Amino acid sequence: MKQVILNKAEVYQNEYFILESIDKLPKSNSEKVIVTVKQWLENSTILKQKKYIGIKLNSDESINFVKKDINYFKIIQFNFLTFKDGRPFSEAKKLRVEFKFKNEIRASGHILPDQYIFLLRCGFNSVEIESAKKKYWLDCLKMDSGLYYQP
Amino acid sequence: MYQYSEKDKQIVKNRTKEFLFQVKRRINGDLTEEEFKPLRLMNGLYLQLHAYMLRVAIPYGELSYIQLKKLAEISEKYDKGYGHFTTRQNIQFNWPKLEDVPKILEELADVEMHAIQTSGNCIRNISCDHLAGINNEEVEDPRPWCEIIRKWSTFHPEFSFLPRKFKIAVIACDTDRAAMKVHDIGLKLVKKKNEVGFEVFVGGGQGRSPFIAKKINDFVKKKDLLNYLEAILSIYNEMGRRDNIYKARIKILINELGEKKLKSLVENKFKKFADKKLSLKENEIQEIKNYFKLPISGPIKSEIPLKKNKQYTNWLNQNVIEHKLSGYSIIMVSLKPYNQPPGDATANQMKTLSKIAQEFSYGEIRVTHEQNLVLPHVKNSDLFNVWNQLKSINLATPNIGLITDAICCPGMDYCALATARSIPISQKISRYFKNQSIQEKIGKIKIKISGCINACGHHHVGNIGILGLDRNGEESYQISLGGSADENTNVGQIVGPSFPEKELMKAITTIIKTFENNKKTKNENFLTVFNRIGIDPFKKDLYETSNSK
Repeated sequence: MKQVILNKAEVYQNEYFILESIDKLPKSNSEKVIVTVKQWLENSTILKQKKYIGIKLNSDESINFVKKDINYFKIIQFNFLTFKDGRPFSEAKKLRVEFKFKNEIRASGHILPDQYIFLLRCGFNSVEIESAKKKYWLDCLKMDSGLYYQP
Repeated sequence: MYQYSEKDKQIVKNRTKEFLFQVKRRINGDLTEEEFKPLRLMNGLYLQLHAYMLRVAIPYGELSYIQLKKLAEISEKYDKGYGHFTTRQNIQFNWPKLEDVPKILEELADVEMHAIQTSGNCIRNISCDHLAGINNEEVEDPRPWCEIIRKWSTFHPEFSFLPRKFKIAVIACDTDRAAMKVHDIGLKLVKKKNEVGFEVFVGGGQGRSPFIAKKINDFVKKKDLLNYLEAILSIYNEMGRRDNIYKARIKILINELGEKKLKSLVENKFKKFADKKLSLKENEIQEIKNYFKLPISGPIKSEIPLKKNKQYTNWLNQNVIEHKLSGYSIIMVSLKPYNQPPGDATANQMKTLSKIAQEFSYGEIRVTHEQNLVLPHVKNSDLFNVWNQLKSINLATPNIGLITDAICCPGMDYCALATARSIPISQKISRYFKNQSIQEKIGKIKIKISGCINACGHHHVGNIGILGLDRNGEESYQISLGGSADENTNVGQIVGPSFPEKELMKAITTIIKTFENNKKTKNENFLTVFNRIGIDPFKKDLYETSNSK
């Protein structure tokens, strides 16, 4: 199924690709690459030299695994194993409030449009969604009144 | 009492709209039942044994007469003419149709009510002392704090998909009428060196593994309360177990980590909230407090009418409590009339009670976690009149705190999780102990009945706890003794093998006989006797001298 990136109401193609294995790491510095926690921990010396590098964590993986390296990442992607696993909401907030992470935080995997506003409010910038479902996501965004009880 | 601001109104309206959108997507197949389930649950909509069940929030158990009237109308229009008040001080309707639910939510919104977060893995209705603001013992009224927490926890972006449900209670005196220590977080307002703040208890809960909450902080300043709660919830959301639903509550986390470790994680997290956006300013606190000013200004001279009427006198003795302002009384309205399901109220009862509250109690009604109602401010001189009116709708049963005032979950008559029926057990107890003087002779005792191990009927903390089980297709009941949900919270001890349904009443009467035989004074109550003599005499009488297995 075709995936697109949704950033607030803006829809665009994913510029990053997920690295299948480390030997497929592009030589060029202009390529945008997302690696797994395992790939990062095993190859961080080489990966740290890349200009556009991101990391993908499953919802059961904590950002604490790569805490000291977060400033190398242009993007941190939390992949929801199930939409019921709410850990990435706290992980994203921790990144913003405690680690002062300024770059992009993205959600992917099993997420529902009904979670979109919560994601944005916890510090996510973007979501990777099925292109065919983007209407529901945009509808949820439109329904947001901007009235919240929390700051 | 609290009145919605424009913002509150809009938030509830938006939620209704959003739910309608979700129902449409479920119907057209865009949402699977698995995906729809947590969304409908967050709106209080369960699928039960025979039908959907809608649980409506009554924040900290406080209702206006207008709201109670609306609940009555909803029960008539969309349900079978009654509602069931729960141990979270909420009300549930057992027979709504899915397609009617958005309309019910709209009608609720008209009277500033909703079903938000009455279910699901989120922060649930905040519970409170039903005598908040009207007793002499408290440090200050805990209700404004419940409202402050209600707001903070409603649609919290970070805490709407927690490992499991999360319950918070707030009390403000040593006497605990809110079962605070069996909550995920229990807060107690205390005064230290002329400053009022909170003692914080974490990790209480019932279910299949009951735990009493442990104190992790002696004094959290008022301004820091929300930041501190946010720290606890963040740690729980990150670290609470998600691999096993039965080990997902914070009670398991605190027991696996140890309270010292949890406390240090929370304190560290709290310190890191550098922005402290949630810090409460004095004027914000005051603004909320203003809503909770009592509707009466001070003490008055008003005498209780004395009548030569035994029923009325019994009721005065059993169901009427002194208000903190002299001249007024607090009426406990028993929802445990003879042979009726505990906590149920018919549309007619709710409508009439709404009128009584409007006329005699400044329009206020409260719900207790023991599934009774309260008329909080009644002039002493009106008591006989109010008693007569309550009696006419079968709501003047003088049994508050007595053996027929049992907590009882809906059990297998309604609930899909139940392993046995619980309502018929409470009805049997109600019939057996009908006689008022027998009940008074037994004295204060709390029976709590659950139809399964999930413990919605609080059986773990009943002086006599009854747990319904399925033993090879037959209903069987395990009894525990010595539990308590007050300031001396204690989990009851299982007395021995369970009893088949037909032998249960015999077991209960045996327990009562053992208690009576061991009383040292006439007024010694069940729990005092149990704590003095222990479980062995009860075991002996139940299993050695009777034919019960």
